[in-house]
Amino acid sequence: MGRSSKDKRDIYYRLAKEEGWRARSAFKLLQLDEEFKLFKGVSRAVDLCAAPGSWSQVLSRKLRGKDKSEEVKIVAVDLQAMAPLPGVTQIQGDITKISTAEEIIRHFEGESADLVVCDGAPDVTGLHDVDEYIQAQLLLAALNITTHVLKPGGNFVAKIFRGKDVTLLYSQLKIFFSFVTCAKPPSSRNSSIEAFVVCQNYSPPEGYVPNMSNPLLDHSYDVDLNQLEGPNRIIVPFLACGDLSGFDSDRTYPLQLDSSKEYQYLPPTQPPIRPPYQQACQLRKSNLLAKEDSPSGALNEALTALDLNTKPDTSTTTPGASE
Amino acid sequence: MASPVESAVVKSAVLVAPITALEFLGEDFLLTGEGPILSVYSLQASPKKCASINVLQNYRIHGIRPYKKHQSGGIPFSGASSASDNSYKGDIIVFGGKGVRLVSFESEGQCLKLIGPLLELQDWVLDIHCFKRQPHSLLGISLAHNAIMLLEAESGNIISFYSCVETCLLYSALMVGPNWDSVVLVGGTVFNQLVLWRPAGTKLSGQSQVERRLLGHSGVIFSLCYLQESGWLASASDDRSVRLWSVGTLGGDAGCGKESPTCLRVLYGHQARVFCVKLTPSRLFSAGEDGACLLWEWGGEGKVGCAFRGHKSGGVRALAVSEGSISCRAGWVATGGADGGVRLWRVAEGKKISEETQEETQLDLGFRGHGCPKVVRLVGEGESNAILVCTDQGEVCLSQGDIWDVIWQGGSEFQSYCVMEVASIQVQNSDCIVQVCAVGNLNGGVQVFLVGQPGVGVFLRAGEGKVHSVLWVKGLFGESGNVCLLASGSEGLVYRWTINVTEDKSGLHIKEEALLPFLLPPCAKRWLTAAVTLSQRNGFCLCGDRRGSLLLYMERENNDRINEGEESRIDSQDQETENRQTELVSSLSPISTLYGVHGKQGVTSVCEYQDLCYSTGRDGSVRILTVEESTLKVRRVHRACKGMDWLEMVLFLGSDGPERMLNKTIVKRTNDTGRESIAEARFVMVGFHSVHFVIWDPHRQEKLLSVTCGGGHRSWAFKRPISTHIDTQTQALRQGTLVFIKQGAVMASRSLMSTDTSVNGHTLKEGLHGRGISCVCHLGSLSGDLSELWEVFVTGGEDTTVGVLAVCPQSGIVKVLAVLTDHISIVRALAAIRRGDMNERERNNGMETSVLSSLVFSAGGRAQLQCYRLLIHLDEQQSQPICQVTQIAGHRLDEQWERKRNRHKTVKMDPETRYMSIAVVQNESEGVLLALGCSDGAVRLFSVNESSRSVDVLWECFYHQRCVLSVATCKLEDSQGRKLLLLFSATTDGCISVWDLTAVLNSKASVSWQGPSVPFFSIPVHQSGVNTLALSPRTEKGQTEDNVISLASGGDDGQLSLLRIKIDQAEQENGVASLQLLSHWSIPLAHSSPLTGLCLLSPALLASTSPDQRMCLWSVESDGLRPLQVRFSHIADAAGLWAWRSEGQEGGAWIVVCGQGLQLFQLTEKEIDEAENGRAEGEERKKVMFSHQCSRT
Repeated sequence: MGRSSKDKRDIYYRLAKEEGWRARSAFKLLQLDEEFKLFKGVSRAVDLCAAPGSWSQVLSRKLRGKDKSEEVKIVAVDLQAMAPLPGVTQIQGDITKISTAEEIIRHFEGESADLVVCDGAPDVTGLHDVDEYIQAQLLLAALNITTHVLKPGGNFVAKIFRGKDVTLLYSQLKIFFSFVTCAKPPSSRNSSIEAFVVCQNYSPPEGYVPNMSNPLLDHSYDVDLNQLEGPNRIIVPFLACGDLSGFDSDRTYPLQLDSSKEYQYLPPTQPPIRPPYQQACQLRKSNLLAKEDSPSGALNEALTALDLNTKPDTSTTTPGASE
Repeated sequence: MASPVESAVVKSAVLVAPITALEFLGEDFLLTGEGPILSVYSLQASPKKCASINVLQNYRIHGIRPYKKHQSGGIPFSGASSASDNSYKGDIIVFGGKGVRLVSFESEGQCLKLIGPLLELQDWVLDIHCFKRQPHSLLGISLAHNAIMLLEAESGNIISFYSCVETCLLYSALMVGPNWDSVVLVGGTVFNQLVLWRPAGTKLSGQSQVERRLLGHSGVIFSLCYLQESGWLASASDDRSVRLWSVGTLGGDAGCGKESPTCLRVLYGHQARVFCVKLTPSRLFSAGEDGACLLWEWGGEGKVGCAFRGHKSGGVRALAVSEGSISCRAGWVATGGADGGVRLWRVAEGKKISEETQEETQLDLGFRGHGCPKVVRLVGEGESNAILVCTDQGEVCLSQGDIWDVIWQGGSEFQSYCVMEVASIQVQNSDCIVQVCAVGNLNGGVQVFLVGQPGVGVFLRAGEGKVHSVLWVKGLFGESGNVCLLASGSEGLVYRWTINVTEDKSGLHIKEEALLPFLLPPCAKRWLTAAVTLSQRNGFCLCGDRRGSLLLYMERENNDRINEGEESRIDSQDQETENRQTELVSSLSPISTLYGVHGKQGVTSVCEYQDLCYSTGRDGSVRILTVEESTLKVRRVHRACKGMDWLEMVLFLGSDGPERMLNKTIVKRTNDTGRESIAEARFVMVGFHSVHFVIWDPHRQEKLLSVTCGGGHRSWAFKRPISTHIDTQTQALRQGTLVFIKQGAVMASRSLMSTDTSVNGHTLKEGLHGRGISCVCHLGSLSGDLSELWEVFVTGGEDTTVGVLAVCPQSGIVKVLAVLTDHISIVRALAAIRRGDMNERERNNGMETSVLSSLVFSAGGRAQLQCYRLLIHLDEQQSQPICQVTQIAGHRLDEQWERKRNRHKTVKMDPETRYMSIAVVQNESEGVLLALGCSDGAVRLFSVNESSRSVDVLWECFYHQRCVLSVATCKLEDSQGRKLLLLFSATTDGCISVWDLTAVLNSKASVSWQGPSVPFFSIPVHQSGVNTLALSPRTEKGQTEDNVISLASGGDDGQLSLLRIKIDQAEQENGVASLQLLSHWSIPLAHSSPLTGLCLLSPALLASTSPDQRMCLWSVESDGLRPLQVRFSHIADAAGLWAWRSEGQEGGAWIVVCGQGLQLFQLTEKEIDEAENGRAEGEERKKVMFSHQCSRT
């Protein structure tokens, strides 16, 4: 009963498993491409905040399948590790560092990218001002990387949280792109403040020199009044893309979608790789979490065993961090 | 017409938001940050709030740093000794987001005052450290992009600015050091590392280098704490662990501490992410998303010394620990939750260690006697600690101290099986109280004897077969010193005797008198498991049996008592037959029966408290019952936490002593007026959860006590310590003792002699739903002549509960009246009908008290719909609102599937529908019709009958094929009296459809109805989903237009639309009404986020809200919508809005916004000049700009 519940409540979660996508967010990029033709003429693409890799998967399938004879290069960047994908070069690094941007350019042999996508979301704390701020900073960091690696006329697609200070973010993006649209694909739930900002025709201000040492800082605005009127208000049009014949992400569907095909449960395509809570879950499964009545002597022994397993991974990531 | 509304002023009246900052001022005051509001609580005597002020305007407070003026160096206030100084005068720095502000506090005047404007920086502030330098105070500020700056506190001038080479994003930061020149910054980065650097360190292109790097966490670091004395640093992380690092001395000449810092401890104990960590010289405190605050001891190998719980789902967001003064040797621990609640605990310093030793092991009471113990009971009340044990050899042993004595032997008849029960009896014509014991055997024999004098006893006979249970109840008809013994025989008869203890010259004697037996209803297991005599109704006895039934018996006035002599004639067969017939004729049948309500596992206890009856069963539920005209009625059902299915009893937290008499007076008074308005008592549930004995607080959703004792216990006893304060009573239950039998040994969870009460908990502020509030519904207002105005709401949340709240806008108090926990998934929609308002108001004119009587419907996930009757009135004794809840009915679509026997072998194929919206279609005395928008694409019509307590699906239509997000209804009536009932539904494709439900008004069908299969009108309004619909109130008679509806809608695209629709009923004679769209105005991007809350205050005034945290007022004019006012809302993730006109001559209105919290706005009409002046006073702000030149300083 519990396994099939999510298949009923989330139709795109189910379709993602059936079609082999790593996450349901793959449909968002696919539906955005249907509306904006993002993949047209793209041979070099960058995926920032890539893990678990569903957007890189979309790029790999769409770009490499189209032009097999032509060279297609895709670079995926994230702090976390990611399972390998065919045709995708992975960089594990911080998108706020200049070395990451230089490494991307190196993979493109000195040329600039045609498309930059970013599906970045913070480790959600539940406090909305912190979450929205971190997400905004991820978006600004992605924009900063984009100013280093994107060619003039290129496109940039990023996730945005429509929250308290969303107008500030619009103003930053408007500086660098001719057309900025806030779009929401059908696979994004109606109950979510998530949307995607589609920035077209990269045209930086004249004389602008990309500089990682000076991160973009937000400027303030009148909280109450400028939201509705006044010359300082940033108007970014909203577009709900996708046709209405597709699936409704808010609807609960029965398991038997097609009468000719029997329902069969599929496990997730790619479970998370070393999530932050992995050790805590293992300890809990072994009933070794410290409790009010029990000492944690056995806990320390189990921790030692676990730490031995994780040490080789730590040693491999340390050179990457220093590099 | 719009000009009076144009001058309206909107201000925030009440705010409930997550507590994001806590800080102690010594031992006497606690500062809390909730949204932008700073509050001060006085902790002396009984803690209470004494001051409150809005500090950061539209920022949320994330940190509070008190510091004292003219203090040498940068030592915080907590370091200074304040044992002899109870008055405090100093400044407080409050920061959050990009805002920083100075506030002054005087404890004598108990007032908070703003100093200077709000400083608005260009980056997020993570930590502030105070440095002293004449003539101005200087603030060291740590920023989110791994930089620090030095700022003048009052003027906002930047002195210096330093940044690190690693320009990464920080989740947390900490500044350590005595002065600015040698300060050290510890930052928790986005890549899960702790970096330490200082402005005085090595430079690279003008930026400082990282000098220390601490690796190990696999999640982001949320909180940091440093202890100077030991050189330890603690970090709390997303990977659910707390790490303790030995970094050495930081700051000053020591620089960044040890060359090779080490990780001393990795503490895994939280069930979810850890948000806060605090270090004191002797222990570590951590709190997180699982709602627990853990106290870690240094002794041993890092064990949890104590766990403080009490916040609802959403967890703990803020943590503060005071270091404790020298005199009292105890400190405070305060936790602030995402539910907006503040909890306070007093933690003992020294006693903790001794208590640990006791709690580590369960005591074996060293039972020694013949055979195995089968039944265990505690004897005596108060300080007495005697334990009575009955063994399978028919012996009864008494334990006092460490000595076990055999006080009674039953002989061969009582071997191999026995039941035992103990009671206290007052000796007749004496003040002496003695303990009496009853033991039953396999052959219908019952022996009753005194515990103190086992020789004094009497032998009774309860039928021929096995005695299944013996129970003691109070005597009927309220006779003092009178108890009644009930013994369940094997033929479904319960034999009863009145037992008295008399005293004469030769000593004590037991005197028994037989009564008519009770006859149980036929079933496979016919015996009583619980019984209680109702004290408020003479002659009534409430019983629970093994089949799970509840039975009400009434004693006859003329008792036909069976002579003892008749029982002895059992030799003759003919006489035997005659006796059996006599017994059947002369037994008592129940006058009211609730058959099998607690399931097949049986009832475990029944009790009476303040004229209400409470029953518990092994179906995991507590039923609250009333006796009305000799009939048992279930008022409400409570459930324990998940998995706690074996409930045994309830314990009440009512006050003892003089307040109890007061309660009785109140009860009698309400009886005299004939109103059924008795409030439920505060109780806790006692039962078994797997292998644990658990005491569960349903009000706070908190586990008070947990003892690992193994599963399936049949005999146990619980000793409850005496406590008089209701708040400390819940904590005192943690000190209770469980006595149980385990593998032939008599065990106790702790020493019976223990009287430790070192852990005290206070609730400074009550919390609401921990996660988001998804819907809100206003019920009405309450006010008396002498009391304040109370606004009453019902809220539904993501924590699956429905809360009944009362808000006093004058004082800002938010009081939780009731919490309804019947939903198994998110509550998404609420609707309410006020019933009997006029009658109640008229009748109570003499008492000058208003009463709210409402029928509330809640709907949500798992296709669940619940109906409650709420009765809310003011308690005149305390001027506080009181709520009585009666559960009317519930409905689930898949209830039939759940009852199938082999359901686990099949996969549940139908969708798990969520009810997204609810609207009242028809409100009649014989029934209520509800329309629900469902996530499986259906619109459903339900019929709710309050008298028969039933909910039925009348009609459902799957026309939309998309998630139906909103429904709204209106009823029209033309001049000729013809009625028209319309239903509006809106879906995720942005379309609004209109259905004609007029035929249901004329239909008499109560089971199903053949409704329309297509709407008669449909129009696309939004690009994406329509989140909310609002219909205008009834047009006034003065308006010339007839049958014109104003429909406002808000969508996921941020658009606000207004439709004006005219209904032409002339063609209704043909069977179909026609609809004409008069006008359609839209404001694209009325909000930057999805518009989630919408309400029409009047045909000309509209209120809207959105997750962009703005609340907008719109004027509906002849040529469209015009914005009037925008007010910033502190409710993140806004999900609903409700607005209503306030009653009274003052006019104005109220608007409530719900989401991550609750905010109440007041709309008043004032002069514009006054409004502008009011704004300028408190909302002054100053921008602090810094350029790159500062980085080279």
